[in-house]
Amino acid sequence: MKSRQEIHDIVRRTLVELFELEAPAVVPEASFNDDLEIDSIDAVDLIDHLSRIFERRVSPRDFRSVRTVNDLIDCIDRLQTQ
Amino acid sequence: MMRGRTDRLHAGASGFIYSELSAVKRTDYYWLRLVGTGLWFLVFGLVTFVLGFLVLPVIRLLTWDRSRRRRRSRAVLGAGMRAFIHGARGTGCIDFEFIGREKLGRPGQLVVANHPTLIDVCFLLGFAPTASCIVKASHFRNLITRGAVIGAGYIPNAPTEEMIHAAEAALQQGETLLMFPEGTRTVPGKPLAMQRGAANVALRAARVLTPVYISCEPSTLSKNLPWYRIPPSRPKWTLRVGDDIDLEAYRDAPLPIASRRLHSDLAGLFAGGTPVRD
Repeated sequence: MKSRQEIHDIVRRTLVELFELEAPAVVPEASFNDDLEIDSIDAVDLIDHLSRIFERRVSPRDFRSVRTVNDLIDCIDRLQTQ
Repeated sequence: MMRGRTDRLHAGASGFIYSELSAVKRTDYYWLRLVGTGLWFLVFGLVTFVLGFLVLPVIRLLTWDRSRRRRRSRAVLGAGMRAFIHGARGTGCIDFEFIGREKLGRPGQLVVANHPTLIDVCFLLGFAPTASCIVKASHFRNLITRGAVIGAGYIPNAPTEEMIHAAEAALQQGETLLMFPEGTRTVPGKPLAMQRGAANVALRAARVLTPVYISCEPSTLSKNLPWYRIPPSRPKWTLRVGDDIDLEAYRDAPLPIASRRLHSDLAGLFAGGTPVRD
């Protein structure tokens, strides 16, 4: 079980590495679509990568309501308690 | 360019503009071709339906092994599509030339092609029938085509996640996979609008990435015209299989970055005048 801060750090690091983003741009309020320009194809890559890191089969259904980085962190936090 | 009174403007590669009062000479038995085209459409719909709802289900009942069943179903559909194109050519409605078709059908090969006309897929699957294909999701609901696409185990293009993973699985299992990166027919006069799925799938799982350049002169069966606006002379399809694209060159970056680069390069290849006439 990872703390929310740990999840936050992992997610941030993943986004920066995978999408070659500037670290300052990856704030919790950043929207995937508008701010970070991450589209549906990217989302599949992101989900696959996160599934490997968190050792959980994460499905797109889980991410349906994820719009911002914060949503993603909350979602993963919620999933790991299931 | 000849101009006449027109309802719809068609600025295709051929440069012809069709009009009710055609100033362009109609040749190659225009009226017979028109009737023939209509008849071939009917035949195509009927045969697709029959294959999908009678023949493929019978194959399904008789063949328990899933991969053999799939192979047989695709072979049947492929034969149907080949017969269709040859028949259309034999009756003088179309002509075609397929250069390099022997390069298609390799295991783990992702074939990407542009999509100028309605029947592009018939040439590709007709001559590489073992291939799987990413197909518009609506074909899985369309009464005429659903039996065929489901029976052949083709892959719907939505939802995105399922398409990517199904495509990946197919390539990893050693299938040949056909994709039209534009997702729909090219709009004549507009640049190709390719989507990134093909590049992404290529880097995930393809052993080989092979482009096929398709052109049709004079243009017909394109996105902006109804089927009965056949060209004044017999349309000829030219399909040319290009050189394999080296995927290793893209593997030094994370997948989202690499796939954007490959996508951009692919778009460049197809936009670069699709040089079919060498």
